[in-house]
Amino acid sequence: MYVKSSKNAFWIVLFLIPLLILFFFYFVYPLGFIFITSTLKWNGVSKPEFVGLQHFISNFQNKTFLLSVKNNFIWLFANGFVQIGLAALVALILARRPRGWKFLRTVYFLPNVISQVAIAMMWAALYNAEYGAINQLLTAIGLDNLTHNWLGEYATALPAIIVQQVFYIGYFMIIILASVMTIPDSLYEAAEIDGANVWQQEWHITIPMIKDILVTAMTLAMAYGLRHFEATFLLTNGGPANRTSVLGILLYKKLSALKYGQASSISTTLVILGLIMIVVIRSTIGRKSSASDLTQ
Amino acid sequence: MSIVRTNGRGTTQVLGNTAKWVVLIFFFTFTFIPLLWLLISSFKTNLELQLKPFAMPEIWQFANYANAMKISGLPRLFLNSIIVSTVSTGLTMIVTSMAGFVFSRERFPFRQGLLNLILAGVLVPIIALMAPYFRLTNSLGIYDSLWALIFTYTAINIPISTFLLYGFMRTLPRELEEAAIMDGTGFVGRYWRIILPLTKPGMVTAGTFVFLFSWNEFIYAMLLTSRPAVRTLQLGIRFFTSQFFTDYTSMFAAIVLTMLPTIVIYIVLHEQIIKGMTSGALKG
Amino acid sequence: MKSIVRGLALLLIIAFAVPVFANGGSDAAVEETGEIVLSFPTFWVGQDSKSGPLASLLEAFNNQHAGEIKVLLEPNPDTDGYRDKLNTQLSSGRAPDIFVFNPDPTSFQYYDSDILFDFTDELQGSWRDNFVESYILDSTKDGKTKSVPYEIGITPIWYNSDLFAKVGVNTFPATIEEFWAAADKLKAAGIVPGSQMTGGSNAWTSMLWFSHIMGSLGGPDVWDKPLTDPVYVKGAEVLKKLFSDGNTTRDAVGGDAGVSGGHYMAGDTATFINGPWYIGRIRGDAPEVHAATRLAAAPKIGEYSGHQIGFMLSNLAAGNTDDPRKRDAIITFMKYMTEPDNVKMVSESAGSLFAVKYELGADADPLQREFVRAASEASFVIGHFQSQVDVSVIQEFGQALAAMALGEATPEEFVQMLIDAQ
Repeated sequence: MYVKSSKNAFWIVLFLIPLLILFFFYFVYPLGFIFITSTLKWNGVSKPEFVGLQHFISNFQNKTFLLSVKNNFIWLFANGFVQIGLAALVALILARRPRGWKFLRTVYFLPNVISQVAIAMMWAALYNAEYGAINQLLTAIGLDNLTHNWLGEYATALPAIIVQQVFYIGYFMIIILASVMTIPDSLYEAAEIDGANVWQQEWHITIPMIKDILVTAMTLAMAYGLRHFEATFLLTNGGPANRTSVLGILLYKKLSALKYGQASSISTTLVILGLIMIVVIRSTIGRKSSASDLTQ
Repeated sequence: MSIVRTNGRGTTQVLGNTAKWVVLIFFFTFTFIPLLWLLISSFKTNLELQLKPFAMPEIWQFANYANAMKISGLPRLFLNSIIVSTVSTGLTMIVTSMAGFVFSRERFPFRQGLLNLILAGVLVPIIALMAPYFRLTNSLGIYDSLWALIFTYTAINIPISTFLLYGFMRTLPRELEEAAIMDGTGFVGRYWRIILPLTKPGMVTAGTFVFLFSWNEFIYAMLLTSRPAVRTLQLGIRFFTSQFFTDYTSMFAAIVLTMLPTIVIYIVLHEQIIKGMTSGALKG
Repeated sequence: MKSIVRGLALLLIIAFAVPVFANGGSDAAVEETGEIVLSFPTFWVGQDSKSGPLASLLEAFNNQHAGEIKVLLEPNPDTDGYRDKLNTQLSSGRAPDIFVFNPDPTSFQYYDSDILFDFTDELQGSWRDNFVESYILDSTKDGKTKSVPYEIGITPIWYNSDLFAKVGVNTFPATIEEFWAAADKLKAAGIVPGSQMTGGSNAWTSMLWFSHIMGSLGGPDVWDKPLTDPVYVKGAEVLKKLFSDGNTTRDAVGGDAGVSGGHYMAGDTATFINGPWYIGRIRGDAPEVHAATRLAAAPKIGEYSGHQIGFMLSNLAAGNTDDPRKRDAIITFMKYMTEPDNVKMVSESAGSLFAVKYELGADADPLQREFVRAASEASFVIGHFQSQVDVSVIQEFGQALAAMALGEATPEEFVQMLIDAQ
């Protein structure tokens, strides 16, 4: 039921204005700036030169760019399905309030509180080929042939960074948990009386009730997969041989090289890919869920 | 109420219990070890950190903490971080809860288009916005002030916060408002007295995110300020990095010191979630 | 309740609207009379070895010019962040009054605009005599000297004489054949011959090795050759060998400067390359390795030998201005910074070397003296590869090197990857 009255129009506008002003200055204007500079050859100091879509064309002919797009999609799936799946699993378990659940909820979230720099350092040390804990452990149990230079080999570098990231579920777990906790206990009581076991309860009650928030979390996680930058930057800077490169890394490299036009063309590509992603989510997993209305 | 959601009975329970604890302990290890590692490493020398990253320090280097305390103007940096993070979290919450309310409860022209546009902001790679934000901040006349950071952080977090609050608000049953409208509650009353209290868990979730973002942000903190008087903690922590090497262990000590308040704030905020939920009208 | 919220809404609108209209005019105002304030953003702060001496120089300068000129330090401790900020400032037409940049073909593009202060005329006078002439020439593009050469780097090969002595090698190998023979002996004794790396933003240690190799193959004018010249492939072949057959550590691919320096300081590896700024670090963290460290020129690979790698590390620059008083203030400050006595003080205290002519005092670190000696005894000095090519090529260097080290790319393909990145 929507409340309709012309008196509301005043309030609707008033409630939206602060957001719209900020959004205009901090998103619409910068994106305009980026779209425009993506058609320029510009080093920031000399006169810009209009080149049309040339940056986009050369991007799509560039091996590293294509590799980065591919890696971004791997991140998108890893974040959207694996990370959210794990976050949902843990949220469902914690919602049943096992012993120490409050403590665990806090601990699971803590990695989000520490700086990524410190976490990345630890993982670089774990993965290091010479003095890393993983190789030392493998050697200790006689599996020398399984040791790797984890962040320096084609086959292991990308999986190593992904493993490091997807298990940090804290933030999404909290979002999902907050939603699960709002489901009235009476629903579970009724199911219990009907003889439904835990799995049935989760499947038939919890999952449908949190579907909206799952789609929301998944969309966010996937958007972060496209925007992924920090962990890769800190652990491999895209190496070895660009095998772990993502568009964010490429974008940063172009900025450092004073290639503002190319950098903007990469940003533009990221935004377009994101919009496509939203359309796809809307027409697949988001369909019928009321969250689909987010993106109609 | 906690007796109600039990863990099933018989073999299912045993199996389920084992699996459950395997999962919980795995994630505990995964998330707790970095903290422990950070703490222990903050007492090492840099060479030890590099060569024996998982051993105990040979001599506990309390000097690292002394170094961390020596960051010039630490109390000021701390205060600035608190001001910037709190104010931008507050502003984001006000701005996006009002908008979220309107988007989720009202129907008006361009509603869907606007909402999509704002949500698309989640997709923008923030690092690409350095040049526009720098220009904007200068032409707003707020360069080198805390406002530069407050506005930037508030704005950057608008899409995600709107996204989350809108998501929470739209799940609230409309019957709640219908009753209130019968009682003559106006527009603002519906927002302030009905929807906002029920959105508390969502606000805490979104607020935590904004706060942590603002607390940990580095690139714009450096780009948009220059006087030490308006800088934040993240810049202080970076005092241990220099052109050719980084004193990681002292930096870790600084991270540990500055992390404590965030953890406290986090725990306090999350008590609020629980309170928000138990006092919420939704409990069945 | 309603009034509160309405009030809040009004406040918000004011809060958002006011700064929008209060726009502009807030640029660091230069007053017609009174003290000229110069902003000086720099990364020579915090734990940088130059932070202490620089601070005391500034204090003395500000005291000396009290009431006339005041230089305000803006600390930017993170070098990447500093560079991002500087690029953003310059691209927005707001150069800081005084700043430092890393001179390479990418940053020399700053010269393309008139946003930088032009020192060309000033440097025609006696001020020029303070400097080693070649650095002035290297800082001059199209006849314009828009930055002042300041800190320089010399990066000879470092070797751990104890480890070499252990396998019976008492002088650093003079030719590459002798070098490989020594490497085999080291490996037989369980010592890794060299520290290498492909990580970080520029694969620093290995990029310097490559520069040494190229110097021996192509001589003083090697960098005049385009990347398509076969000499680069020859250099790549040698570099590849430094990464193969256990000649470096297993974590070199993907390793960063911490990895390559860490192995050398731990005594795991027998050779390493870095500049004088690393002296303090190694003296503090690994005193035994510091004592055993000697410097050398690269072994002879091609026709040339005895050369060194030297380059400008940081140039001082200033934002352009029409205000004559500000111009004078900038020049006064630049001259002060490059006065031989002041440079000597920073050099001895920080371990760095400079583009200015000065004599190190008697109590300078012995290793630092070794650097000066290595440079003065060099048959010729060339810049490093990074100083010769666009940043894009250097960004690709580590990536291509990893591919070559892993056997996924031949030396020809390695060079092709660099060409493609141009």
